[in-house]
Amino acid sequence: MKLSRRCFLKTAAVAVGMPTFIPASALGRDGTVAPSNRIVLGGIGIGPRGREDLKAFLSQPDVQFVAIADVQEARREIVRVMANRQYNNQDCVKTPEMFDVLGRKDIDALLIATGDRWHAVATILAAKAGKDVYCEKPCSMTVRESQELADAVNRYGRVFQAGTQRRNVDNFKFAAGLARSGKLGRIHTVHAGILTLQESHKWLPGEPEPAKEVVDWDRWLGPAPWRPFNKDYVNGRWRNYYDFHGGAALPEWGAHTVDLCQWAASADDTTPVEFEADGQTIYGRYASGVKLVMRLSGFKGEGNWVVPGTCPVRFEGDEGWVEAADTGKIAVSSPKLLEGGAPKEMAGTDPSKHVRDFLDCVKSRKKPAANADVTRRGHIVSHAAAIGWRLGRKVRFDPVTETFINDPEANRQCSRARRSPWHA
Amino acid sequence: MIPFRLSGPVAFLLPLAVLVAAPDPREAKLLAVLSSEAGVQEKARACQELASIASPASVPALAALLSHEQLGDYARSGLESIADPSAGAALRKALGSLQGRQLAGAVNSLGVRREVAAVPDLQKLALDPSRGAAAEALASLGMIGNADAAKTLQKVLADGPANLREAAGHAALEAAARLSKAGNAAAARGLLEAIGRALPNTHLAAIAKAQAARR
Repeated sequence: MKLSRRCFLKTAAVAVGMPTFIPASALGRDGTVAPSNRIVLGGIGIGPRGREDLKAFLSQPDVQFVAIADVQEARREIVRVMANRQYNNQDCVKTPEMFDVLGRKDIDALLIATGDRWHAVATILAAKAGKDVYCEKPCSMTVRESQELADAVNRYGRVFQAGTQRRNVDNFKFAAGLARSGKLGRIHTVHAGILTLQESHKWLPGEPEPAKEVVDWDRWLGPAPWRPFNKDYVNGRWRNYYDFHGGAALPEWGAHTVDLCQWAASADDTTPVEFEADGQTIYGRYASGVKLVMRLSGFKGEGNWVVPGTCPVRFEGDEGWVEAADTGKIAVSSPKLLEGGAPKEMAGTDPSKHVRDFLDCVKSRKKPAANADVTRRGHIVSHAAAIGWRLGRKVRFDPVTETFINDPEANRQCSRARRSPWHA
Repeated sequence: MIPFRLSGPVAFLLPLAVLVAAPDPREAKLLAVLSSEAGVQEKARACQELASIASPASVPALAALLSHEQLGDYARSGLESIADPSAGAALRKALGSLQGRQLAGAVNSLGVRREVAAVPDLQKLALDPSRGAAAEALASLGMIGNADAAKTLQKVLADGPANLREAAGHAALEAAARLSKAGNAAAARGLLEAIGRALPNTHLAAIAKAQAARR
């Protein structure tokens, strides 16, 4: 269902007067891009991590950030001030209503950085509204949401970049490149660092709801099941609750590290065919025989990794290995693997190159590094592995149908009902 | 007989058909929670656990919660996951009495289940804006995406209320994809062309036009 770039540009530009972008380099104005040639950006749900993304967007000369929708007044005001300070004007609009932003015809693309519960639904709504999307991770709560997100992006011919920026961070990119180039020999095992697997079904004590203008609790919940308000949730402490954090926390880092393993194993178009958990380690196996080991890492140096830092990955072939983590450092089995120079050290959390990749693709209509298709499969791997962990037994998975094989209980965990009236 | 097509979310559910007769002691415990004086949180969790294991025996208890302001959506989790037709029948029956968000939720669940038997019910809701779930009904018809559903989508696109045409357009785009996948290219093309006529000069029409050209 994906439109060709040329076909989409031709039809959409004719139909709705879509702006034709001119590369900044072609303008010859010392990096200044005329307003008419900027990508007009809006935001939905921008908290602390989203503001890191936003900084990267604001630093790009060909972006004009014009509106923020957030259910929390304090957060939308912070973002409005950030944008207005950047442009030295008062033009950024803030609103609690995301449909105000989705409905603006002048907005080309959206930064979506809500909590996980909203990512897929907001992305699908944005695709339907004709917007390109940069969406923070994890982008889905379930296997089904991973499918729905990718289907919508492709059906509506949108450019989508998941906030899995490590695909555009030098040391991770270099490591995956070594694995894919054959320099490590035949790849037999890939390792993804993950956080402690856990999910809580507790509810925090109910508190009086704030005024809707301050925090709209109903909208904050969105597609997630109802529970009483507690300020901790809206202050960022929603993680590890089953209703708000899909996949037993595995996708939290797995969205990055499992995704990188998929890339390194040349498995972006497939998934492992089985998963089996042993405590906090989950072993996957691809049809090719490559093993995927999802094992503990963490903020306090948990796990047995050579390179320090969060979100480590390790790729092993029969002729060598490479390891990378968020410190920007890399370790290899032989100095020969670094001939030509080690990659530049860059923090794994830095989204700047990833944001640039997205913006370039908004213009070219090409697929960015973390497009909807690789995101679909990378996220499905994380969710499927977590289901195996939750069930406490080996599960077999069909990468083509994206269902568990002869396992109704596992398959029933591939989707959740969304709270009404939200749907895809 | 399972009244679903072999694709989409329902593909997750199909293997259940052979298990409907197998009693699970966990299910009995969870049903006991639902019929007890337990609080909302405990019952909510019971519904979520039933979503993984419930047999048709759980349908009446879950259906009884559909109108509950807080637990209705939790009950839908259970009903969406039970492949047995009795779960779909319970959702269809509830359409007559539910209102507001609860009605919209049941409509959504029928779409997620791709409940072909619900097409006539959804058609009525789609053509009756006074019930307040017309847009949701259109979306569910799009998810079901058979020839009957397509007729209603085409009707709304052609002469339905202006404020429902965009919802009908999105639903028609989804239905066209499903019809095309099922080998009914002519019906798919008809829907795509209807989008172009109903919503000219929109990005939705541009997408539909491009897709029609590829079929």
